[in-house]
This record gives sequence, structure tokens and C-alpha cells, in this order.
Amino acid sequence: MSVRIRILRFDPSQDERPWWGAYEADVEPTERVLDALHYVKWYRDSSLALRRSCAHGICGSDAMIINGVNLLACKVMIRDLEQPIVIEPIRGLPVIRDLVVDMEPFFAGYKEVKPWLIVDEDEKEPPRERIQSQEDRERYDDTTKCILCAACTTSCPIYWADGKYVGPAAIVNAHRFIFDSRDRGGRERLEILSGKGGAFKCRTAFNCTDACPRGIKVTLAIQEVKRAALYDSV
Amino acid sequence: MAEHETHEFDVIVIGAGGAGLRAAIEAQAQGARTAIICKSLLGKAHTVMAEGGVAAALGTVYSEDNWEVHFRDTMRGGKMLNNWRMARIHAQEAPERVLELEDWGALFDRTEEGRILQRDFGGHRYARLAHVGDRTGLEMIRILQQKAVAMDIDVFMETTIVRLLKDGDRIAGAFGYRRESGKFVEFKSPAVVLATGGVGKAYKVTSNSWEYTGDGHALGLWAGADLIDMEFVQFHPTGMVWPPSVMGILVTEGVRGDGGILRNGSDERFMFGYIPEMFRAETADDEEEADRWYTDRKGARRPPDLLPRDEVARAIVAEIKEGRGTPHGGVYLDIASRRDPEYITRRLPGMYHQFKELADVDITKEPMEVGPTCHYMMGGLKVDAETAAATVDGLFAAGEVAGGMHGANRLGGNSLSDLLVFGCRAGRGAADYARAVDVRPEASANQTEEVAREALEPFERTDGENPYLLQQRLQDKMQALVGIIRVEDELKKGLDALGELKQRAGRVTAEGNRLYNPGWHLALDLRSLLATSEAIALAALERKESRGAQTREDFPQTDPELGKINIVLRMKNGEPYVDRSPLEPLPQDLRSVVERSL
Repeated sequence: MSVRIRILRFDPSQDERPWWGAYEADVEPTERVLDALHYVKWYRDSSLALRRSCAHGICGSDAMIINGVNLLACKVMIRDLEQPIVIEPIRGLPVIRDLVVDMEPFFAGYKEVKPWLIVDEDEKEPPRERIQSQEDRERYDDTTKCILCAACTTSCPIYWADGKYVGPAAIVNAHRFIFDSRDRGGRERLEILSGKGGAFKCRTAFNCTDACPRGIKVTLAIQEVKRAALYDSV
Repeated sequence: MAEHETHEFDVIVIGAGGAGLRAAIEAQAQGARTAIICKSLLGKAHTVMAEGGVAAALGTVYSEDNWEVHFRDTMRGGKMLNNWRMARIHAQEAPERVLELEDWGALFDRTEEGRILQRDFGGHRYARLAHVGDRTGLEMIRILQQKAVAMDIDVFMETTIVRLLKDGDRIAGAFGYRRESGKFVEFKSPAVVLATGGVGKAYKVTSNSWEYTGDGHALGLWAGADLIDMEFVQFHPTGMVWPPSVMGILVTEGVRGDGGILRNGSDERFMFGYIPEMFRAETADDEEEADRWYTDRKGARRPPDLLPRDEVARAIVAEIKEGRGTPHGGVYLDIASRRDPEYITRRLPGMYHQFKELADVDITKEPMEVGPTCHYMMGGLKVDAETAAATVDGLFAAGEVAGGMHGANRLGGNSLSDLLVFGCRAGRGAADYARAVDVRPEASANQTEEVAREALEPFERTDGENPYLLQQRLQDKMQALVGIIRVEDELKKGLDALGELKQRAGRVTAEGNRLYNPGWHLALDLRSLLATSEAIALAALERKESRGAQTREDFPQTDPELGKINIVLRMKNGEPYVDRSPLEPLPQDLRSVVERSL
């Protein structure tokens, strides 16, 4: 079937401002938005820029705004969308070209929360098996599902407005360690997240939770981090 | 040529999947100034798609397991064509590498005692795959990525290497471009680790990511390195077959490890008819025994559904060919009738969502339809088992781009462990090599100028070939002529088609400018796709037997003489040249390990 698509295009080397490109793509209803974008690239305009890699929702490269909502293009079917399908780059990060945004600020927020296991110095011995109960493991299972696609962070109105806020994804990745029974860096991270750009910026709009393609309860994770910071307990 | 950005390091690692990250971590830990260069953003590498787990004889579920049994299973699965030194190191060191990953914070599913849980997979005698639900690769990449970030290793994201640089016979660095700006960048480095993964995008039906274009295989070949085992392309038995747009997406072997079984269109459990001699003694030959195995591992033998991947893929192809397929041309993979919904969604959440969202199938209620999909490249650079050194000084290779470890067929779960074990060894090998270099190699300026000029040619043509259409044609030809079942006549036609495509790729056009231009990126990747595809077809033609992943319709038997050699590909006068090299014979003590019946 023929599908109408509008894509917000922008090439900073030649365009003064973004413009809407209108295309028709010949794809099946059970195909995904990524297939339609491929169609446009292959047969209509090969200069269209977008990121994609695994093409089924694990690598997290192709988050974009599709009909007003942050989605992964490889996970949403054509038949589930109204036409014309309107596609824009995710918001809050500088556009490099078309649907490709600069992810550096996003990764900077991620790095800020020290997303790695912090252990006591005397624990640093040759690798040995550590015991973790099924309950302790379950405690942080949800936030380990993150694929760093930035769909949550770039759906957050606070993030759009406040360049200092680390954003939901960074907090999700901090949560993953704060609530890991093996980690000893909880206090350090909570201190960072109690600061100006931290978790208390969140106004629980729930956009992030709606946007997460992995179904992570992002807002809940942020609330748990806030609570831990307030009561100094994990 | 205009100025370009240059950087100097002791070790550069090309690729940021499991092998690349592990190599960079080790090289940096050894004191080498190290950089990671990757085509995608950090953390998007193909490794994230690995589902089932990482194989290591930890013995947490079956204390009988040890490195010898893992070694035995790996060699048998590889049809004895493996580099036994690699297989031995792999089996011995995998547990340490997995524990190290846990030490760095990896999440694992746990036993009731809180130990790392291990699951069953094809060809492994004991439950051996440490895992996180069905997202093990994602967790592994995240932990390694975080470790690399914590160590402050330099990372050049979205930077594609198009050529390795040389000083005489030695490696001198690498040259490429930044996707974002399209500008060239040169890395001066005495040691280069290739960790670029495989070439699955040469096939139409594939489980592999869009970035899997055989770059490292081609870079190695062009730099003068030997490739081995290129004929062995693994087709995973279970990829999605419906709807067409998702055809090829992987369905983890964990479905069968957790109780799923294969049935044909007439609802027969056909795998009982395809048990090969090599595995007969350890495989159940009726349904009752096969089902009993899930609860009685000692008293019953393994179900044939869990034979190595080459055996299962061939059986599925045969069933479909005989007209016993499903409506969409696959076979059924049924876990719905065998396990309760809670168990399925807990053990296989990714599969549940994948089928629900992409195929509108509820795998807790109905069977899946599956068929073979291109999954893994066994062949790659010939390397030294201890150091991962390739056959060119200063060049190292680890992971899927290296050959030998898996022989003619890889067991599931052995890839993630391979990445860790040989990634670590390559990092150390490269750092040691760089440290011992007296005079740093220097690439001549005309090398970089030539590469840059060639790379820009697609912009100079206005009416040339469309790179996307060439890639599609390549995929069609490889699928049809150099696919699962091979025959001389078709392989020759395949080589002719590749020759024609090489000509056409020389006339490819890139529209627009160099700023983040995926059409141009593909125009350049096409050259590695074609070079690697040609190596596959040439090696497949040369090996006149059926063994592991190589199935020759015209030579259906295994030839013991060909079990003693690797097919080698290298460049000679600008063209790929096919050679043979003898395998080092398996020492008697290891032979008796392999022949042990368990």
C-alpha cells in the first residue's frame, strides 16, 4: 500500500531552518516505520539521515517522534498509525542532520551518575563468585532493561527547558546501581542526584514512562531515587 | 589532499562490541594508550542482540561440568575443525571472564542459593549458559561499556575505518572518516585490534544488524592478512518467518533450552529423524525420553531439538523442502503447549514481546513459525591462540572477525564467551606488542591520500549506481547461490554475480554532501561487503565436502582428508587467492577428552 509520510528535514550546512519533506512509500501495513523510512532513502532521497542498527528494538538507535510520540521506528507498525505519518527528530538535543541528533549531552548526563559498580577497596580481589539472592537481583531488574535510546529523556519537559538536568535515563542508570545489593556507591550517587541537576528536578509528568520502549517504570525509578536521597536509605 | 585530523595511540581497537570493549579494557589496563573506534554510537554494537547467554563451565547448576567437557562439546560441535588451542584456552578461561563480568556489576539470573544460574543450549552437555532472561548481550555490553567509561578510555564514536595503514610489512594505524562531519581522520598506532564482528548483511534473511558488513574481514584481507574458514557461515535454525518485514529476526535457542520443541506442518516432532551418528549415543530417540530429560538429566538423554545449530538448521530446510512446512514456509516452535504462561514470560520476556508486537502471536498460547536465518560467521582472520595476533605484524583480531575458534560450526553461547576470552587476550597481545616496538611505524602520506581520494569518488558521479539497490542485489544473490545448501554450479554463478557487482560498485553514486550521509556510508561499506562475500563463495567452492555449516549438495559426505586442513584466503596481486593450510593435529590427551562418552 502507499503510505504518506512527512519528515522534518534539516541540513545545517545548507538550510536556514528545518523544512517538511513529503514522501510516499510503498510498504505493507505490517511493515514498520523504519521500513518506510528505508523506502524513502532507497528510492526517493538517499540523503535522508537517520540512525538504525539492530532494527528490532534492542540497540536503541532509532528513537524519533512519530505522530507526536517518542517511539522506536523499528518497533511501530504502519497499520497502527494515522496518515500522514509525521516524523521528527527527538527533542532537546541539537540536530546534526534530519533525524540524527547529537547524543553527547545525553551521554554526559549518563556519565555524571557514575554508572558502574562501586565496591569497597578491600573487595577488589581476583574475580570470584558473589552470591546474590533472587530477591536482591529482582530489586533492580527493571532498570537494567534500559537501551539508552533517549526516548525518555527527550520526552521530558523539564529536560527540554533545563540544560542542567541529567534527565530520566541517567537516573534510571543510577537506580540500577543504587539498588544493587553488591554496590557500595549509593551514597555518592545520591549526593550527585540530590544536586541541582538531579532527581528533584522531576515533576512526575510521566512522559518518560509512556515513552520507554522497554516498558521500564521510569517515573517510579526516579521516585525511588528521590525517596532514597531524602531518607538516606536504600 | 586537505589537512585531516590525526591521533596517536599505542593500541587502537576497531569495533565496540563485546570483543572490542574487552580488548580495550585490557590494553588500557596494561598501560597502553588505547582508543576505541566504532561505526555506531557506543553501546549499540551487535553484541546487544545476543539473547541466550554466555557459555562457561562454572558448574553452578551441574557440578560435573568442567573445562574439559566444554572443550569436548565445542570441538564436536565444530566438527573437529576448530583450532584446538583456541578451544582449550576458551574453555579454560571462560569461567574467569564471566566471574570478572559479575565482579564489574553484571546482572545474572540466580539459582535459589544465589549463584549464577546456567541454562541449557544446543550441543552443550550440561546447562552452561550464564544469562539474564533473554537479554544477556545487552547486559554484557552495558557492563563493558561502563567499565570503559569508568577507565576513561578514548572513544571515537560514529567513526568508520576504511583502510588499515602500513609501514612496509607492519601495521602503522588506520584511516577513516567521522560520520557526523564526513571529515577524514587518521590514527597512528603500531598495534590495531580488529573487533568488527561479522558480515550477516550480505544475506537477505539475517538476524544481524545493519552495521554487519564484513569491514574487519575486508580490512584484514586488504592489509595482507590470511583469512580461514570463510566457507562456514552459520544459519541459526530459528529466525522469524512472518510477517515478511521481520523475517530473519532471531528467536533464541533458549526457547528450546527451556522446553520448546520443533514440529513440522503435520505436527510431527521431526527432529527424531535427523540424529547424526556423532550425537546418537547422547541423544534421546523417542518423545518420552526427550521429555523426561527436562526433569531427569541423569537418567534420560537430551532431546534432538537441542542438537548443534547446523544439524537443526539442515533438518528444518529438509522438512520445508519435502513440503512439510507451515503456511508461511517455516516449521513450528512450540513452547505454549509445554510450559505455563508465567514461566514463559519470566524466562523469555523478550521473545514474548517480540512476537506479540511484530507478529501478533502470543507465544504463551500458540506456536511460533520459524526458519533458518543467517546468524554468525565462523571464518575470519587467522590468529595465534595465545595472543590473537593475525598474520600481519601489529594486527590482532578477536571475536567474530577472528577464525578458528569455532571450526565448522559454533555452539550457541560460545560467542559471548569467545568475545570475553579472546578480547582480553587480544588487548594484552596488542599492548605487549606495542610496548616492544622500538621505532614507531609511520604510514606514508600517499597511502592516506589515495584512500581519501577513492572514498570521495562516489560524490563525483552524478548518474552512477544506487548503493542500496546494489546491496539488495548482493543479498539476493548470496541468499540464492551461496546460502545454506550449496552446489558447484550455483557457487560459480554466485562468483560471477559478485564480479559484476564489484564492477557496478565502482560506479556507485552518493547524493548530497558529506554531513552524516548514510548513502555515502553504504557506498563505502559495499566494498567490504563484496570482498568478504567473495571470500565466502571462493572458500565454499574449494571445500568439496559437507561439514558443519558447509552443506554441499554435490558432495554430501564428510571427507576425512579435508578435516585436516583450513581453506585460506589472502590477497595476491590485487585479487583474492585460495590456499590451504594444515591443521595442527590434536594431541592424544585432548583427543581422548573429545572422544569421551558422557
